[in-house]
Amino acid sequence: MRLTLRCRITLSFGFGLLVVTSVLAFATWNLASGYMLRQREASATRQAEVNVRLVEKSLSSPGLDELLTGLTTGPDSSILVIGPDGQVNAGRKVEASQLPADLVEHPPGRSRITVAGLPVIAVTLPVAGNAVYVELFPLQQLDRTFGFLGAVLIAGTIGSALLGAALGSWASKRALRPLAELSSAAVRIAGGDLRARLPDQDDPDLAALAAKFNSTAHALEQRALRDARFASDISHELRSPLTTMVNAGAVLRRRREHLPGTAGTALELLTSEVDRFARMVVDLLEISRADQTDDPPPEEIALDALVRNVIATRAGVPLALEPAVVLGDRRRLDRVLTNLLDNAERHAGGAVLVAVRVSGSRVRLEVEDAGPGVPEPLREQIFERFARGVMAGSRGDDTGSGLGLALVREHVLRLGGRVWVEDRSPHGSRFVVELTEF
Amino acid sequence: MCVRVLLVEDDERIRQALSLALSDEGFTVDEAVSGEEAFRRLETEQFDVVLVDLTLPGIDGLEVVRTLRARGDLPIIVVTARTDARDMIAGLEAGADDYVTKPLMASVLAARIRALLRRRGPGREAVRIGDLEIRPQEGLVHRAGERVHLTRTEFRLLLELAGAAGRIVTREQLLQKVWGYDYFGDTRLLDVHIRRLRRKIEANPDDPALLLTVRGTGYRIRS
Repeated sequence: MRLTLRCRITLSFGFGLLVVTSVLAFATWNLASGYMLRQREASATRQAEVNVRLVEKSLSSPGLDELLTGLTTGPDSSILVIGPDGQVNAGRKVEASQLPADLVEHPPGRSRITVAGLPVIAVTLPVAGNAVYVELFPLQQLDRTFGFLGAVLIAGTIGSALLGAALGSWASKRALRPLAELSSAAVRIAGGDLRARLPDQDDPDLAALAAKFNSTAHALEQRALRDARFASDISHELRSPLTTMVNAGAVLRRRREHLPGTAGTALELLTSEVDRFARMVVDLLEISRADQTDDPPPEEIALDALVRNVIATRAGVPLALEPAVVLGDRRRLDRVLTNLLDNAERHAGGAVLVAVRVSGSRVRLEVEDAGPGVPEPLREQIFERFARGVMAGSRGDDTGSGLGLALVREHVLRLGGRVWVEDRSPHGSRFVVELTEF
Repeated sequence: MCVRVLLVEDDERIRQALSLALSDEGFTVDEAVSGEEAFRRLETEQFDVVLVDLTLPGIDGLEVVRTLRARGDLPIIVVTARTDARDMIAGLEAGADDYVTKPLMASVLAARIRALLRRRGPGREAVRIGDLEIRPQEGLVHRAGERVHLTRTEFRLLLELAGAAGRIVTREQLLQKVWGYDYFGDTRLLDVHIRRLRRKIEANPDDPALLLTVRGTGYRIRS
């Protein structure tokens, strides 16, 4: 899987800072710990040398024990004087055998060792020719200091890596914000909202991109408007002759019995096609108008009451209505429901259930039929203009305009909702219009 | 009794086809090519309803409607070429009772005309609402003793609302009862008429005290 750009910027900021601070921390650690250790060793050596002089003077006197006890600096330090006739010990108990032989046998010497689990600096010095003075300086305190220093350095390193990542995340978000705007504008345009534009950018790098995007979107919008206007103009021009044809047709149809045989059949064909033509022009005008915005301000509409009203003017359909209020244009909702019912009548033998269901903040208007259903690949297509032909064999004596479902989609989009078709069990289809509850 | 219709339309073919089809529906149709001709004929003859195409040469269709409305309450239906809501609303604001859009069918038009000419309303008794007095039988409305001139459509609208005695009347019911729309009545038709009615019966049309809007449902009269 490829990481997103933001992710990569965040990671590289974090990693970069991690490397830099860990190098710094490592160097600091080495310098500080080395320096502190050397200091400690030097001071231990100095102290041992002072002590050894005192010991030398009273080596054979009986007060040696006392002197040694006085010289020890704490419970963890210890002093050993190893002579040819035995050893004297003060402070923490230590045997000569616990010390490295090399150190004891060749004084003077100095070494960092661990005695009985305790880290110490051992300093050995010769006393009075044949004895050895050994002093062990505990390193616990220094170790604690090292531990603290180490913890501070590690925490600082991790902290700065995290800070780096956060900085990277913030910087990339900031840098990519115009891109996010671009993407959301592109999504809106793809969704049919051709008025989506990018805000003006003051960054010269981005201004050119934004300007290009906006001019492209503008051109697209103009083109869509021109197309809509063209369809609308054509329909307008067709209306006058159509009015004449439809009414002349009605007059002729009334006198159908005067035209027997072939002429009568031809007349029927003619008048029914003129009627269909008229419907198509009306729908075409409506769809070109649906692209424009001359909507009245949206009003609150009781969807269940609206459904009941529409159904009251048609053949009875079972209803399952929950009370729901939506915000929108009443005419559009009327047309949506009527067209869905017409569609069910035309292709599936009529609707078998009309339902209004509420779930959360969403309201669903469902029209179910028990017809042949809509095959998966056609479920998007049937909402296209003039998509009638996609359903094999459904043309027949079809008298629709081929715009019914396209109009449904236009209206639903204008109402800020979605429409789709799904399977109904055991067979048939369910057209679902989803709107936001008011 | 035969209903006389005056058809004001400049397109000759449409005029002919519509007259033929409307005659089939049982109306007596007279034709006028322009607003001027319509005014001439209306001076000497009696008509029951006038159909006016809004796109007329010479005097504009809207002007014809406005003039006719100023002269009396003769029912007027405007024929709009555009589905543009502005055209339709302008026609209704000018005083038309109803509208149809091209391509219009004579059967639809006939239903509209018959609905307009119906003179039925709930109740026969005089109704009083605040300082408003409605006498259904005489078709008169007085406000604080002064006569208010309502068109027939406005009067029937008021009567439907008054007949409900303060209960809510939905838009659909009003469209059905006043204009005879089964459904699909454009509610803007109703809105414009309510506006017109308010201008005539309310002391302050912007802040109605008698004819109240019930949001999302319809209207009611304060009882």
